[in-house]
Amino acid sequence: MCGICGIVSYAGPPDLTLLRRMMGRLGHRGPDGNGWYRDQRAALGHTRLAIIDTAGGAQPLCNEDGTVWVTFNGEIFNYVELGEELRQRGHTFRTAADTEVIVHAWEEWGEECFSRFNGQWAFALWDQRAERLVLSRDRLGVRPLFFTRLPAGLLFASEVKSIFADPSVERAFDPAGLDQTFSFWSPVAPRTAYRGIEQLEPGHYAVLDRDGLRKASYWRITFPERGREPSQDVQENAAALRERIIEATRLRFLRSDVPVGAYLSGGIDSSVTAAVIARYTDAPLHTFSLRFADSEFDEGQYQKQMSALLGTQHQDVMVSRSEIAAIFPEVVRHAETPIVRAAPAPLFLLSKLARDNGCKVVVTGEGADEVLAGYDIFREARVRLFWSRDPGSAKRTRAAELLYPWMARSPGRVPAFARSFFGRNLDPSDPAFSHRPRWDSTSVIKTMLSADMQDRIGRADAGDIVAAMPSGSENWDPLSRGQWLEMTTLLAGYVLASQGDRMLMANSVEGRFPFLDRDVVDFANALPARHKLFGLEEKYLLKRAFADLVPEDIIHRTKQPYRAPDAASFFAGGSPAWFDEVTSERAVAAAGVFEPSLVAGLLAKCRRTGGENMSNTDNMRVLAVVSTQLTHESFIAGGGQGTMDRALPDPSVAVDLLTDDRSAP
Amino acid sequence: MNRNAVEQVLRDYHALRRPDTDPELEAVRAAILVEDVFDVVLSDAEIDPAVLGDAGAVAALVAVLRGAA
Repeated sequence: MCGICGIVSYAGPPDLTLLRRMMGRLGHRGPDGNGWYRDQRAALGHTRLAIIDTAGGAQPLCNEDGTVWVTFNGEIFNYVELGEELRQRGHTFRTAADTEVIVHAWEEWGEECFSRFNGQWAFALWDQRAERLVLSRDRLGVRPLFFTRLPAGLLFASEVKSIFADPSVERAFDPAGLDQTFSFWSPVAPRTAYRGIEQLEPGHYAVLDRDGLRKASYWRITFPERGREPSQDVQENAAALRERIIEATRLRFLRSDVPVGAYLSGGIDSSVTAAVIARYTDAPLHTFSLRFADSEFDEGQYQKQMSALLGTQHQDVMVSRSEIAAIFPEVVRHAETPIVRAAPAPLFLLSKLARDNGCKVVVTGEGADEVLAGYDIFREARVRLFWSRDPGSAKRTRAAELLYPWMARSPGRVPAFARSFFGRNLDPSDPAFSHRPRWDSTSVIKTMLSADMQDRIGRADAGDIVAAMPSGSENWDPLSRGQWLEMTTLLAGYVLASQGDRMLMANSVEGRFPFLDRDVVDFANALPARHKLFGLEEKYLLKRAFADLVPEDIIHRTKQPYRAPDAASFFAGGSPAWFDEVTSERAVAAAGVFEPSLVAGLLAKCRRTGGENMSNTDNMRVLAVVSTQLTHESFIAGGGQGTMDRALPDPSVAVDLLTDDRSAP
Repeated sequence: MNRNAVEQVLRDYHALRRPDTDPELEAVRAAILVEDVFDVVLSDAEIDPAVLGDAGAVAALVAVLRGAA
């Protein structure tokens, strides 16, 4: 994993000083080295986290005759196999790095090369002869890739702060991006929270040349028609899933020239990946866990059980509310976008723990909930669908009691609330049936927006995510439609971004996610829905497939989603020093997103209660306000920009075709 | 889905049952599975522990409902 950035300018040579400044803002993503390339039209920058071929894989890297250059963030896990195929076709390799496979694969297969890659990537490839830039991003959006269009070119980077290194780039919130954030928890690609800043959609590539920018997909999230899934046999499918997950995990553990650790949350997903590593590889395993001082969120008992069983060298970090509050501004500077949960903050501390213990790569269970149907939102949809068949039935109404047994205000304990919350919008013909309760409850944040922002959102076109669902999706199982929405919105925009890449790379740690392996995802998406969510039993096939490797206590424990204290983090023990200024009436008015008087009322309520026992809606409102204010301060008002610049060491690659200077391995 | 496959699904389901669950609620849980997997709609009278507690009886009920569909 690394940081990438670049400039394409058809109006004149790209500015090397700007490129270096852009690279400096990506220093945390690549502390092991850096490099750059420039010619008359393009400049590519790279900051390196050295993981494969640590001695020889410096970037930007080129083909045999120096006409195709690449700057690459990520891993192509099947690079060994692709490299063999490309060598047989006559390509000459100078390094043992996966990066070089990209260059030769592009030469050999052109735009067909992306579908051959099994990995997690964002890269830019510059074809010097054609004066053409190609951007590509992995299937599900593990690695980020942002860009902004210029009158005669484009800037791109792994993070927005790098693009903002150019003072001529506009800094303003995008009302439509905020509208999506306060509905879906994050902007949906290509949109971002910033006007004029786009992100390349997962599973897409873009080509920029003198004719302009064109985008196309090489892979799409898709599911078979319900009842027409290729295999209906649960035992066969469990065995096949197991085989794929073992291979995906092995690839992610073994294809590294530096030690790889694993996160252990106490749930089944990370238990499976850690257990596979322990069983199917020889290397000692270091595991890392989050603990919470709040017992409501803590899963320490299960983490300890699993690490003891596997004999791992285990470390954990205990997270308190005050620590979440103290680091939150830094968390937002890395997330670069408003967030409606505090959950990314502990993950920032977890990646720090891994890095402090010498691990710059970790394998985690991310993606299992989306790919194998683990989230409560899928169970919730199934309960609501059941209810919708006879909304007046007292027996069907009781189904809500089967949801969220871990919650203090669980539907079983507060049935009237359950009926009012889950019983709304019971229209099974709605393609977004699964997601309406979440979207409706999140959208309540928007009642706090300023009149001006509400007006701007009303005039903006945020796009229609439901209308974007693939043709034929009406014949998918309802679970598949829910999975499509979850993968398209929350997975790429929040789980893999604000909670994933950004919190990992903040401490220069690469995450690897076996459940998002190409072969695992393609296989899982073709499964009958009942093999994933069997009645209300989530991740059913995964549990069957690994019943011998994971203790029954963990397999059958009540599903507990990863959560962290939200509003209470900022009020329970007194607010952190930065808080009052960032949320002051003056600052809220300056940001222009929320109505100052409503914010003042919300914060007064929090101060009275210490942020305890707040409703889900109020928790989200607090986080939305605080993170939006911090985002504004750091990226739009510009107050935090100086802290983002990092002096880089001398580059290991420096190729300037304008002056004919070359310093490359 | 033939009768053997139906019975296998129900055996798999019954293997997951937790003995401490409220029987009425367990019947609701079973009804959710039966309706989803077999594409049938149960009446309130059929969402009952006495009906949904036995794999053979459920298989027979599913056969009737699917035949009627």
